Amino acid sequence: MAKRTVIPFGPQHPVLPEPIHLDLVIEDETVVEAIPSIGFIHRGLEKLVEKNEWPEMVYVIERVCGICSFGHGWGYCKSVEGNLGVTVPLRAEYLRTIWHELGRIHSHLLWLGLLADAFGFESLFMHSWRLREKVLDMFEETTGGRVIFSVCKVGGVRKDVSDEKLAEISAELNGMIPELKELTDVFIEDMSVKNRLTGVGVLSKEEVTELCAVGPVARASGVASDVRLDGHGAYAELGFEPCVEQDGDSMARCKVRIKELFQSIELIEKAAKSIPEGDIDVKVKGNPSGEFVGRMEQPRGEAYYYSKGNGSKFLERIRVRTPTNANIPALVKMLQGCDLADVPVLVLTIDPCISCTER
Amino acid sequence: MGSLKIGKMIMRSLGRKPATLMYPVIPREWKERTRGHISIDMGTCILCGICGKKCPTDAITVDRDAKTWSIKRMQCIQCSCCVEVCPKKCLVNEATYTTPAVYKIVDTFEKPDNPEADSAGGSLKCDDTCVFCGICAKKCPQAAITVVREDKKWEVDDDKCTRCGLCIEGCPKKSLKIE
Repeated sequence: MAKRTVIPFGPQHPVLPEPIHLDLVIEDETVVEAIPSIGFIHRGLEKLVEKNEWPEMVYVIERVCGICSFGHGWGYCKSVEGNLGVTVPLRAEYLRTIWHELGRIHSHLLWLGLLADAFGFESLFMHSWRLREKVLDMFEETTGGRVIFSVCKVGGVRKDVSDEKLAEISAELNGMIPELKELTDVFIEDMSVKNRLTGVGVLSKEEVTELCAVGPVARASGVASDVRLDGHGAYAELGFEPCVEQDGDSMARCKVRIKELFQSIELIEKAAKSIPEGDIDVKVKGNPSGEFVGRMEQPRGEAYYYSKGNGSKFLERIRVRTPTNANIPALVKMLQGCDLADVPVLVLTIDPCISCTER
Repeated sequence: MGSLKIGKMIMRSLGRKPATLMYPVIPREWKERTRGHISIDMGTCILCGICGKKCPTDAITVDRDAKTWSIKRMQCIQCSCCVEVCPKKCLVNEATYTTPAVYKIVDTFEKPDNPEADSAGGSLKCDDTCVFCGICAKKCPQAAITVVREDKKWEVDDDKCTRCGLCIEGCPKKSLKIE
């Protein structure tokens, strides 16, 4: 038997935008076991609920993550709205859906860039982020912010977007399709990318189910799990089908996200065409006094938002369970038996967001 | 399968201008809705202090004695919460960013002396349709109103009252007015 060595990976590592630490037990060049540890950037955001009134807490929750910030704001609002028994106007639900899908496009483009960077394809990384920039501009035009939007509130949204503007955004996204296609074809067809992704980190359908993986990681192994199927927001009206791949390797996870990019553009187009007229918010009376769990499909997977109120202006407890947290066991499993050189790519394929995980 | 699939894209980039901008040397184009920085019209401000109380990061301080309104620029998160709650709509979230700095900037604005406008404000009055529900007292950001239901007592402290009008908006019987 070859000699076993432990190599520390992270929390500071060129491939990691955020700190996670893995102790890699290796035999020659093969990883035998990976032991993860987190806790480097815990900020205690959930505790802030004791100091911030529930209508203002949405600004804090948005800052759980800089990539899926709109989804976090929506998830929190959904949880408190459920607690208060508030029905949100349909126009607000459509606007939320459009912003959430725009968030998915920008998150997936960011991820594609990071993945390219992980296997050393610098120009692909730059081009992915160049296209992402256009989506950030759309966010700035409609919400006023590029990363943190502050438009979601309990009972609806803060800003309306005219139908003409929505049509303009949809047309601009459609105009981006040829360039996106060209970019994503490099990921799917280029030989050097294929060599790094195909057959690396295979997870079977059974393993994914057993390890409770969520989001694109689960869908890449043939498990059609997606919270959007429950029809929250405007998804029921828009008719949604999850993107699924069967191979379960890194390439399949990449393909799922690429398919979702184009699907999001389609969903935004449908929503921009069918958005109803009406109010964008309802007046919320009273304070939350029960418990409620809201689920959201973030770009990285399923996220939970639990809120518990006691009838006062301050919630008693908030709990957020983020998709990266659920995907870490799957990551540990796929690292077993891989080459040491594939570790950065495998860590990237779950799209780790450690700030979300630790809050 | 193929190699150098990105070739076309790279060749096109060679003839194109850079996608990035030399900010702040070359100024950027601001969008209409960009949340850049908070500005205040001190002529309209009544120093009620609601913005400071609602600010999620405690970036705003209102000093009624010194008649000043100050904002810690580095602490402000441009959420526009203060703009929404301001009863006089004297706060605006402007599109431009503040200039970069190497220390924590605190901008303080002083309310211009205008005795005529101050005295023209009048004082808060309650008529006999009042049912002593106490909503006005709960709404008052300065705790200037006292309501004792048992004694049918309604009182306002004129020095504390900022004439923000929140109590008038909240009154279910429309018994309150400033005159």
